[in-house]
Amino acid sequence: MTSPSPAYIEEALVLAQDRLTNDVYRLTVEATTGGSPGQFYMVRAWDREPLLARPISIHDADEGTISLLYQVRGRGTELLARLHKGDTVALMGPLGNGFTMENLHGRVGIVTGGIGIAPMFYLASTLPARSATVIAGFKSTPYAVAALLSLGVEVYVATEDGCEGTRGFCTDIFDPAAFDVVVTCGPTPMMARVAQLCAQAGVPCQASLEAHMACGIGACLGCTFPTTSGYKRVCADGPVFDAAEVIWHA
Amino acid sequence: MPETMLCGVTLKNPVIAASGTFGFGAEYGRLFDVSKLGAICTKGLTLHPREGNPGMRVWETPAGMMNSIGLQNPGIPAFLEHELPRMRTMGTAIIANVGGGDLEEYVEGVRLLSEAESIDIIELNISCPNVHEGGMAFGIKANVAAGVVAAVRRVCRKPLMVKLSPNAENIADMAVACERAGADAVSLVNAFNALAIDIHARKPVFDNVTAGLSGPAIKPIALRMVWEAAHAVRIPVVGIGGITTWQDAVEFLMAGATAVQVGTATFVKPTAMLDIVDGLERYCAAEPLTRL
Ligand SMILES: Cc1cc2nc3c(=O)[nH]c(=O)nc-3n(C[C@H](O)[C@H](O)[C@H](O)COP(=O)(O)OP(=O)(O)OC[C@H]3O[C@@H](n4cnc5c(N)ncnc54)[C@H](O)[C@@H]3O)c2cc1C
Ligand SMILES: Cc1cc2nc3c(=O)[nH]c(=O)nc-3n(C[C@H](O)[C@H](O)[C@H](O)COP(=O)(O)O)c2cc1C
Ligand code: FES
Repeated sequence: MTSPSPAYIEEALVLAQDRLTNDVYRLTVEATTGGSPGQFYMVRAWDREPLLARPISIHDADEGTISLLYQVRGRGTELLARLHKGDTVALMGPLGNGFTMENLHGRVGIVTGGIGIAPMFYLASTLPARSATVIAGFKSTPYAVAALLSLGVEVYVATEDGCEGTRGFCTDIFDPAAFDVVVTCGPTPMMARVAQLCAQAGVPCQASLEAHMACGIGACLGCTFPTTSGYKRVCADGPVFDAAEVIWHA
Repeated sequence: MPETMLCGVTLKNPVIAASGTFGFGAEYGRLFDVSKLGAICTKGLTLHPREGNPGMRVWETPAGMMNSIGLQNPGIPAFLEHELPRMRTMGTAIIANVGGGDLEEYVEGVRLLSEAESIDIIELNISCPNVHEGGMAFGIKANVAAGVVAAVRRVCRKPLMVKLSPNAENIADMAVACERAGADAVSLVNAFNALAIDIHARKPVFDNVTAGLSGPAIKPIALRMVWEAAHAVRIPVVGIGGITTWQDAVEFLMAGATAVQVGTATFVKPTAMLDIVDGLERYCAAEPLTRL
């Protein structure tokens, strides 16, 4: 598969920064480089420290803008959260393979944990209307759900503290038998469980994996994940893999 | 910056992509014109394919990063067949970086690479653990390193550059030992042996426990080592370690380096090497580069 070449944009203009919850933000920047659902950008909005750029998925994109949905975790995401309209960020992308859209037909189940919901708005808005159902798990207050509902997507929510939806994990309310194909993104143990449920039910599953990255473009071999055909680069061979090929408990 | 002669090979400029940070050139070739670089060092190659290390492989540190890739590579025969033909079209010099687990693997690897016409220089990575010596790297003791260099020299028909480990007992002695054993140049430094601990998991971050530190954090130490090596040998010295800006590159050239390699800085800004080439050009047009 040959995807369009990524670009490096040293100064992309910030158009908006919206705070969705206590620690989840949506950043909208001016860029024409777009990408497909499941692809990501390496993002950097500071001078020397921290050293490396951060991988962030495309939350939404059109001809002139890209938006990113992110959760503050450490120093890098904290600095992203300080950006204001009119500031600039450095972007490299679009990167990675994205979801295999041609395999997503029929009833598509989208199972997410926490900020793993980030790439799913763009995915759901690209799928045919009413074909997708999102099953989203959160620690506490949900986010990004209203936008999905506005697309006409069905959304089921589970929260660990029970503040909304069903109390528990998204995997507690996920039944693979209801779907023809499943897509998942979230913490690795959660995705491993989704992959296991799908395998038992004989439902194909695409998983968007996470790994620490240095280059983001396939050159350093720093982001590998074990698969049935050896170590694969999450940034260049992924981040989306056939869940059946991933060795989850290496 | 004027052309640079490095052991008989003419480079467009003295800025070289460091091994392991630039793959075989194709990935960054999608992003910028790699023919503007002085040369590209390949990912570390071994005779036999290597899977690489399990577990965490890269970890950010203050002003640096640690890596434990484990020399993942397709093996020299597959490199020659699949990667080299593509690299040859990139319009820049090719430096094949080679590692090994024992003497035989080094020698046979270098022999194969020597036969490939489009390789300009062979860079011998002696930071690899010696499987017969309890994993102690070849590049720690000068007499062990000299043994590998001499053995490789006998089969190497290309200019031979030996890449020194900063973990060497004494960097000047090491450079001299390599020169005497037949090296045409030395490049330094490789990554520093370092440790990170995950305090929540209560165990080392890396499965291999230690890993290599690179990036701006190592620059002043690398610069000191380049200075010491350059004052100890007559062969060319290539400076490596944390070079991020053209000013950093000028420092290494002033310390006695003939050329520089840039690694981690490319992760910080993919076009960092192009900025360094431009900066050196402007600097050299304005004033002569003096070697201290
Ligand atoms: C392909 C991909 C897409 C992603 N998309 C999103 C997204 O859309 N929204 C979002 O909020 N997060 C996303 N992440 C996770 C995000 O990259 C990390 O949360 C972020 O790098 C943390 O940086 P920090 O400086 O805040 O944290 P720190 O912990 O201070 O970061 C230290 C280092 O570890 C790395 N790191 C830490 N956690 C992760 C992680 N979970 N995954 C990868 N690297 C990590 C950092 O990149 C940095 O190099 C994605 C990760 C990947 C691999
Ligand atoms: C991810 C990564 C992989 C590396 N792989 C190799 C390698 O295969 N062979 C080698 O000789 N050096 C390797 N190095 C070392 C670099 O070539 C360089 O010597 C070191 O990183 C110091 O330079 P820097 O601070 O500019 O990165 C690697 C470094 C990094 C960061
Ligand atoms: S981050 Fe460098 S290969 Fe994936």
